[in-house]
Amino acid sequence: MSETVFLKIDDLKKAYNGFSALKGINLTLHKGDFLTIFGPNGAGKTTLLRIISTLLPPSSGRVKIFEYDLEEHPEEFRKSVAVISHQSLLYNDLTAKENLEFYAALYGIGERAEKIKELLRLVGLYERRNSQVSEFSRGMQQRLSIARALINDPYLILLDEPYSGLDQHAATLLKKQLALLHSQKRTIIMVTHNLALGMREVTKVGILVNGEMPFFRNRNEMDADRFDETYFSYVSGNLQ
Amino acid sequence: MRKLIIISAGLFLAAIYLVFFYAPVESVMGIVQKIFYFHLPLAFTAFFSYLVAFVCGLLYLVKKESKWDIYSAGSVEIGVVLTTLVLITGSLWARPIWNTWWTWDPRLTTSLILWLIYAAYLILRMSIEQESKRATFCAVMAIIGFVDVPIVFMSARLWRSIHPVVVKSNSIAMEPSMKLALLLAMFAFFSLWFALFRIRTSGGFLLEKIKHLENRIMEK
Amino acid sequence: MKQAWFIIKKDLMIEFRKKEALMSMLFFGFLVLVILNIATGIGSKVASSVSGGILWLAIIFSAVLGLDRIFAHENENRCIDGLLLSPIEPESIFLAKMAVNLIFMIIAEVILIPLFFILYNNEISGRLPMLIVIVMLLNLGFSSVGTLVSAMSSGIKKNDMMLPILLFPVLIPLIAATVKSTTELLGGAGVAKYSQWLYLTGAFDLIFFGSSYLLFEHVIKEG
Repeated sequence: MSETVFLKIDDLKKAYNGFSALKGINLTLHKGDFLTIFGPNGAGKTTLLRIISTLLPPSSGRVKIFEYDLEEHPEEFRKSVAVISHQSLLYNDLTAKENLEFYAALYGIGERAEKIKELLRLVGLYERRNSQVSEFSRGMQQRLSIARALINDPYLILLDEPYSGLDQHAATLLKKQLALLHSQKRTIIMVTHNLALGMREVTKVGILVNGEMPFFRNRNEMDADRFDETYFSYVSGNLQ
Repeated sequence: MRKLIIISAGLFLAAIYLVFFYAPVESVMGIVQKIFYFHLPLAFTAFFSYLVAFVCGLLYLVKKESKWDIYSAGSVEIGVVLTTLVLITGSLWARPIWNTWWTWDPRLTTSLILWLIYAAYLILRMSIEQESKRATFCAVMAIIGFVDVPIVFMSARLWRSIHPVVVKSNSIAMEPSMKLALLLAMFAFFSLWFALFRIRTSGGFLLEKIKHLENRIMEK
Repeated sequence: MKQAWFIIKKDLMIEFRKKEALMSMLFFGFLVLVILNIATGIGSKVASSVSGGILWLAIIFSAVLGLDRIFAHENENRCIDGLLLSPIEPESIFLAKMAVNLIFMIIAEVILIPLFFILYNNEISGRLPMLIVIVMLLNLGFSSVGTLVSAMSSGIKKNDMMLPILLFPVLIPLIAATVKSTTELLGGAGVAKYSQWLYLTGAFDLIFFGSSYLLFEHVIKEG
């Protein structure tokens, strides 16, 4: 591949009180990659995303976006990273529009009104822009949180179990949104334990078990139909 | 650790001997004054505990190493016990001398407020499970508690004081034999402080080690 | 700095929509004034030596209710992560939250203090500017250390009582100084009689604004 390396993680470790949540993670992503990391609960998936998003300091190792190092230039990371999780990061007592206006202001975005209109249309909530988030269904909140995450036009989108708690309709919409984001050449990392939903659109697949990533491959280099078996062999191999 | 305990015990025996058999009985207050040989070192070591907690709290925030949290927590625990004893011995002394169990004298008030601040620290410690959060919040509390001390003291002093000022900056208003007894008592209490500190913190390190081992077993 | 203003605006917007904090602050402050009047003897004029204490007890208790709310919205749906993910500095979050708490306190005081003078038959004529100085000195100290402690207590789910338990011991000298100077002021004394107390309050404000400002980053990242 001739594309430039976008995200590089070298020997990333995180330990709390002797408990190793991450034991040396290495991965390289190019611009436009869509990586899904599968793993059981407690494997360190959320920890990994929290480190990449600057919310948690690593114990050792390096994380780089282009030439920017996470610990030296956290502001560069915050500018270009967005997080979508099962927590919406939205204020219940503000309307959809007000939520986006607030975050747009924090990111110092000019011509906010246009941008917000566009994002609300994108997630199909323009008609409900003046309703408070507390009146929204779980799926609508998730859509609005996607709009919120896109407010700073992020290069890197981190998704933490985005499908949890969504009904069929909302999940379908989320799939469409992710396909669109991928087509816009944004780099995406999703962590999930949902094998069926996690394989859509991906270009790379990883398996994280007990803080290690024993499996990390390009989608086209693996047998996707037999991935279930592969996954369970890695996960159960660690349960003896 | 055992050595430190033996040394403290020896120093205490010597101090008790000097206090009760060597230093003369004070002419005005009589035998009650003997309490002072313990009250003052208690107050000094209590304050020293909070100083240690403050410094270790700062070091924890800078380095984020759990040992500083263990040190800080150990000294606050000792400090609270010592401050409790300061308040009790002060009260016992005040009853015959000032004819009251309690008076809102600046030093007494300061000790009481310090006791409240650091007792709150211990409640905070009990209320948080997650290690890094507990360590950070406790470090912050140890710092703001300590920077409050001069203001607490100043405000208490603006009320009229009836506490005897024994240790002034330049001279100590006491007989030489009394001074010697006090000095030895000081040594005894500081050596006890270090012994307690070692015991408390080694307990903290052991707990941490157990956690490490538990986690390693869980991983297996 | 500009981002701090956006947080203030957002918080005030939520508060004026829901009126949770201010309503409970005002009601509770008024309640304390009434209860203390009854406790000190109905009908009889309360001596000026204790009325200063009554006023501040009512204000401090009501202010703690407001303080308890200033991080509440950030904790629902983990909005605090949203703030920490954005390019805003933790110091700006501190200044914004402190300002919000100051605004809540001032609004409550504008209503509670006149109520106090009505309920306790006190006279304030001509001494109002000095009372405002005393009030503002207390407000500054209270909101600085209060914002720091509130950020901690909102991160502790196990114990709802953590805010007053941690805050009140630290605040004792500030409360003592404020009560003393108010009592002197209400008793008709000149500034010279209580200027030392004012300096003490000023020193408290400076020390605790500085240390809370510096320590806040550590607390908010753990919340």
